[in-house]
Amino acid sequence: MTVTSMPRAAGADQPRRAPARGAAPRRRRSRIIVSRLGGGLAVLVPIVLISTFITYSLGALSNSNPAATILGQDAATPAAVARLNHALGLDHPLIVQYWNWLTQAAHGNLGRSYFTQIPVAQSIAQRLPVDLSIAVLAVILAAVIGGGAGMIAAIRRGGWFDRGVTVACSAASTLPAFVVGIILVVLFAVTAHLLPANGYVGPSTSIAQWLAHIILPSLALSLAVSADIARQLRTSLVEVLEQNYIVGARVRGLPYRRILVRHALRNAAGPALTILGNDFPLMLAGAVAAEAVFSLPGLGQLLLQSAQTRDIPVVQGLLLVISCFVIVVNLIVNTTLNWLYRANDGIGT
Amino acid sequence: MKRLIGPQSALRLPSARIAIVVLLGIAVLTAFGSTLAPQNPLTINANALFQGPGAHHLLGTDYLGRDVLSRLMAGTRLSVLTALEAVGIGLVLGTGPGIATVFLGRWFDFAANRVTDALMTLPYVFFAVAVTAALGNGLVQAMVPVGILLAPFFFRVTRAATLEHARAQYVEAAELMGASKLHVVRVHVLRKVLPTIAVTTASMAAAALLAVSFLTFLGIGVQPPAPTWGGVLSSDLAYLAQAPWAPFIPGALIAVTVGALNALADAFRDRRGAGTLAAQPDPIIRTHSTLEPADDDRQSQVA
Repeated sequence: MTVTSMPRAAGADQPRRAPARGAAPRRRRSRIIVSRLGGGLAVLVPIVLISTFITYSLGALSNSNPAATILGQDAATPAAVARLNHALGLDHPLIVQYWNWLTQAAHGNLGRSYFTQIPVAQSIAQRLPVDLSIAVLAVILAAVIGGGAGMIAAIRRGGWFDRGVTVACSAASTLPAFVVGIILVVLFAVTAHLLPANGYVGPSTSIAQWLAHIILPSLALSLAVSADIARQLRTSLVEVLEQNYIVGARVRGLPYRRILVRHALRNAAGPALTILGNDFPLMLAGAVAAEAVFSLPGLGQLLLQSAQTRDIPVVQGLLLVISCFVIVVNLIVNTTLNWLYRANDGIGT
Repeated sequence: MKRLIGPQSALRLPSARIAIVVLLGIAVLTAFGSTLAPQNPLTINANALFQGPGAHHLLGTDYLGRDVLSRLMAGTRLSVLTALEAVGIGLVLGTGPGIATVFLGRWFDFAANRVTDALMTLPYVFFAVAVTAALGNGLVQAMVPVGILLAPFFFRVTRAATLEHARAQYVEAAELMGASKLHVVRVHVLRKVLPTIAVTTASMAAAALLAVSFLTFLGIGVQPPAPTWGGVLSSDLAYLAQAPWAPFIPGALIAVTVGALNALADAFRDRRGAGTLAAQPDPIIRTHSTLEPADDDRQSQVA
């Protein structure tokens, strides 16, 4: 095995490159960074444009006539409808409407609800904390439960804990979040009366109450992802722990905990992190499920209400916010992965 | 399909056999569920509310005294057929471009991948609910967007598998002999990619079934008296104090069906290596090379 293909943790012990190497490598390095950024943007911009366009065209797909809806049956004369359509900008071609909507959205203006006239951004901002609390706590729980279980299973591979984790993972991945949520309600709220079965309290009112209300939804959400993470982490950690450099590190007398964290985990965490990033959309969708089970006043309830009343601007705004979240989380995960697997091309080493 | 019954067959695994039996049962329920149901799923019986499983009602009754077993059996068809609708849409939209993108050049590949990435940023249940706002409340309408959002998974898996096989030596040989792209796809690629697609179809069917039961749980697409798996679950939710065990029955039905689909996918994956993208020893080159290894090669192996 050559030095360059050595894993990163071992590479960290190598002497740093001498700084005085002239301007040429530095120029090359900056060119690599620029081309990478360019490549990243070339991928990111189309994604944002396409997904926002899909979101916006939903309004055009619906044959509903928003102006007539707003005006009501009596006032909806053709002239009044045309005037309101003009005021709402709905008489432009779809692509122009889309661009206007997108530029407004970039300034934080998502339009107003057709029915309540409340700005969409405001009602989303009101409800976002609920889903964010659940999703973030679920990610933390998934990382702790799944990561912990996967790690212990990998260290004690073949033991009873390992087999138990494998069985539990298969079972957990077949149970949808809303079923898990109901089971948790039955166990902890209806039978044991330990935690509230539904409702939401903001963290500014009472931190303890806030945690008590979001812990069950988050747990329900995190279970399937924990199972995925545990399975993936176990597989990759078992593989890494059998590598020569782990044996080498043990021979050098490093403490096992340090080997585990700095050498093994760092190299094995990639696939599990990817899963965490890929499952985030599922988590947000699952947050809708959790809201339905625990009757929380979140984005999902808003979506259901506005879908029933065909309040298109609210639906569009919600989809936009959700897909932006997914894109940002994916970016964060990819950046973290790049940092974990710093390539040998001179960036970051 | 000799592979289905050969010694290497995935069906030799006990987990796969159990899964097949479960899925056959579900298929029977899909076809004849409402006829086989022991009682009318809509009959309200005020004298038998919240009954536990017993001789008269095998799985108990709900808050209106309706027989849960009959409701679940009658609800199977809608749940399964709409799940299959979504999978079908995903399969058609995903695999075709997935194979084509390998042969159509870099620009098409770039564009197709960006569309895929964009679709993957939309959570499908969320999107399905949003589409019902535009297209009207109906399960058939709601599962179209789910199908569209399943397509990226088919696309990615098919593309990866096709890439792997399109670089094989025999494809190169066929091209050198003047075979057209269409011929290469039809004869050499499609057959190799099919197992991978089968695995993906099984796991996507599981995902679609989850989506259906969740949408019906939310009350999307069905008018209340009509029975669905998710609908039974959501009506139980309101009466947990009276019947805390009730949600476990539809929950178990969903979990068992999804588990069977996942087990089937896993069995195929384990046996055929299909759907896994890990590097494997290439069996293709070995079977197609009739040349004996050169002598010096053999000597170096001995030495």
